[in-house]
Amino acid sequence: MTAQDIIRTRAKELLESGEVATFIGWEAGRFENQTTPLVITDAADADKLVFNEYCVNTLAKYVRDVIPRGKVGLVVRGCDSRGIIRLVADKVIKREDVYLIGVGCPGIKDRKTGEMLKKCAECRHNNPPEFDEMAGEVAEKPVAVERFAEVAEVEAMAQPDRSRYFESVYAKCIRCYACRDVCPCCTCRECFVDQRRENWVGKQNNVAENRFYGLTRVMHIGDRCIECGECERVCPMDLPLMKLNRKVIQDMNDLFGEFESSLSLEDTTEPLIEYRLDDVEEFM
Amino acid sequence: MSRIGVFLCYCGSNIAGTVDVEAVAEMARTLPDVVYVETNKYTCSDPGQEGVKNAIIEKGIDRVVVGACSPRMHEPTWRKLLADTPVNPYMLEVANLREQCSWVHKDKEIATEKAKDLVKMAVAKVARLQPLHSIEIPVHKKALVIGGGIAGMQTALDIADAGFQVTIVERETSLGGKMVMLDKTFPTMDCSACICTPKMSEVGNHPNITVKSYSEVENVSGYIGNFEVTIREKAKYIDYNLCTGCGACETKCPQKVTNDFEQGMAQRTAIYKMFPQAVPSKPVIDAAHCRKLQEGKCGVCAKVCPTGAINYEDEDKLTTETYGAVVFATGYKLIDWKPLYPEYGGGKYEDVITGLQFERLVNASGPTEGHILRPSDGTEPKSVVIIKCVGSRDPNKGKAYCSRACCMYSAKHAHQYLDKVPDGRCYVFYMDVRTPGKGYDEFYMNTLQDGAQYLRGRVSKIYRENGKLICKGEDTLTSQQVTVAADMVVLETAMVPADGIDELAAKFTVGRDADSWLVEAHAKLRPVETNTAGIFLAGTAQGPKDIPDSVCQAGAAASKVIGLLNKDKLMSNPQISHVNETLCQGDGACVGICPYGAISIVEKQFRENSRKVVRPVAEVNPGLCQGCGACTVTCRAGAMDLLGYTNESIMREVDALCQW
Repeated sequence: MTAQDIIRTRAKELLESGEVATFIGWEAGRFENQTTPLVITDAADADKLVFNEYCVNTLAKYVRDVIPRGKVGLVVRGCDSRGIIRLVADKVIKREDVYLIGVGCPGIKDRKTGEMLKKCAECRHNNPPEFDEMAGEVAEKPVAVERFAEVAEVEAMAQPDRSRYFESVYAKCIRCYACRDVCPCCTCRECFVDQRRENWVGKQNNVAENRFYGLTRVMHIGDRCIECGECERVCPMDLPLMKLNRKVIQDMNDLFGEFESSLSLEDTTEPLIEYRLDDVEEFM
Repeated sequence: MSRIGVFLCYCGSNIAGTVDVEAVAEMARTLPDVVYVETNKYTCSDPGQEGVKNAIIEKGIDRVVVGACSPRMHEPTWRKLLADTPVNPYMLEVANLREQCSWVHKDKEIATEKAKDLVKMAVAKVARLQPLHSIEIPVHKKALVIGGGIAGMQTALDIADAGFQVTIVERETSLGGKMVMLDKTFPTMDCSACICTPKMSEVGNHPNITVKSYSEVENVSGYIGNFEVTIREKAKYIDYNLCTGCGACETKCPQKVTNDFEQGMAQRTAIYKMFPQAVPSKPVIDAAHCRKLQEGKCGVCAKVCPTGAINYEDEDKLTTETYGAVVFATGYKLIDWKPLYPEYGGGKYEDVITGLQFERLVNASGPTEGHILRPSDGTEPKSVVIIKCVGSRDPNKGKAYCSRACCMYSAKHAHQYLDKVPDGRCYVFYMDVRTPGKGYDEFYMNTLQDGAQYLRGRVSKIYRENGKLICKGEDTLTSQQVTVAADMVVLETAMVPADGIDELAAKFTVGRDADSWLVEAHAKLRPVETNTAGIFLAGTAQGPKDIPDSVCQAGAAASKVIGLLNKDKLMSNPQISHVNETLCQGDGACVGICPYGAISIVEKQFRENSRKVVRPVAEVNPGLCQGCGACTVTCRAGAMDLLGYTNESIMREVDALCQW
């Protein structure tokens, strides 16, 4: 049986037995090489579920919207699973609210070019660290790439060039907040950009406000980012968002030691807000 | 619509000298919601305050901006004034036109522009403030004094005499601190022990004082009026209820240990009393050196003890009690000069001693019974060099500050030496002689008349040659190189805070300066209070001092504690954190960051989207919260808000500043 067969069978069983109220996976899209996320509540729909190398969306965050209906079953790869760990750590959901069917992920391909997506080429954990059962075999570990290569590129620039570079980046931003909406770490009940009474970010679309949004966002998610790369993938303006995320991660590595967020439910450390007496205090 | 009144102060010429206050007033009149602007030469004076009150009533003002000195200075004054008016005391914003404007700028034009900005910001902020109300918190009528030196003892006695219970925690085995080690005290040359030991016994016998010797503070929680303190009483291995203090055990103990009380110049036994007049007057066993406890063999003390008080199975005891107030009288130690001054031998020469060692040498109860004898060979030194400011006023090697007492005690050392060794010669190397105290300069003049040779300059090197310590230095008054062949050298070393002060102060969230001295709430006006309410300072914990100043400050701290304990209830500070439960998702980031343990996560029921939901949210304990605001900046969701300094009000301040 392929992973897809197992997913269909198990989804049907879970829905029929009432163990889960909803099940989240992917279904085939309108076009070839395309899938869209699918939320089903009826066991009869289980056969619509697919799993192939074009399942591009990360599923974790959809759980938040369907959880009021009851326990949620979903298919998790490395990124989905870490997203779930993040949601549990941030108290958005409880672990017992979800039933995780793990699959090993071979990497997802770009629907147009057929090449591996950037986020998947950079992936470090393709197998789910947290799951209730596995569908099929674990996948081979991805080929390691230099995690901070992009950061090094930017850091190599001279100061005025770097300034101009980020200015050009944020001049393009249209503040559609797609990066926020897709991010499994962005789980505030009301995002700071929507808090109109405080008015943290002005409504104008200009480099200053856009940059302020970008920098605040990266500081908000920096120590929790699971590096799924979804923000960068969904950006309609192709902003290199992972560069800033990884810069914060690199700084944390330097300051507090090698760090990767949300690899297990036991260790959900957030270095930027954790306070310990023996903390590094390089600024004092 | 709010009706804002703006009151701008000249502060004599303090503000008006650098800021055109009238121009600021003119600008303030144009600001939205401002209905009244007044300037005054001294707004904080009685007529000034009366004017503010009248204006509030007459103009129907509901929010007040005062442009004057730092809020640290007079915010409480304005709050008190508003309490007598219909305006809530927290509908107030103080624009700091003095410390942060007129005092730090010279150019009147620029300072005036800045003052306008500050007032604009204050007006923008005050328009967004909400009325706040205090709650009552109970006061536990008991004080904790940490440290049983002269400052701690004096504080404890003064509080106890006022009728309140006091606990003294002393980490050594006896009360007395440093003072009891000293021989005589300047300028009157009273015998130190003769005035200190009666205090110790008074403390030991006082019905309102509990002495916890050989004990340390383990843990603290709570807040003013309600500090819950856990004290660790180290194992003494002696049952103090049975022990009579006869001393038989000490005479028989076979193990010899370096005696720290005698500054390493004598030995004591492993079961020991720090000194004969110790309070409590009972020994402890030094577990690290006791043969029975280390090797399991010996037990001599248990055999000789007539009351069977020795208990080798003794363990540390933890007790937790609640105190209304805490006084830090943790004292000082002398700087470890050895690694800092290799040019003085770095500890290589036995006859280069510290002032405290000299005190023991000249003390009748010391290791030489008061005869000044060299530690190396026990001979009487015929020439002594005293070097002042070793580690003090030396930012490169030691501390930048002046240790304050050394000028006087080095004069005392010179005087005592010349008194005891009439044919001796004494040279004092000094940078300055600072004797501002009652009878102090007279004392110094006497020492000069005794024949002490004062040389202005530092000693650059000490080395041994033919049994003499050769001190090479410079007399900067004659610009000549000076070489003195001395038999003994006394280093008057800097005072530094006692060991462990950083950890202890952190437990109580008491601020420290760069040198780890504890920081008072205001250098001039609140010298014995700390920034943590209910915690006070006495003696050298706050900075170098001599005995009279320490005792003085101890009395001051005691009077503050008595004032606090006298109250049955305190009014809380309502400027504390507030949880916006709509935004809070209960992830608990604030819980970990809160230094006061004031936040917890609780499950609460809400109605959301026409559904009942139970979800975790943060809850703030209003008694514990000190309003530091750490949680507000930690909360990504912005659910934590500091009342009186809400995110919204601060953003409006920023907006006001950034208008152009």
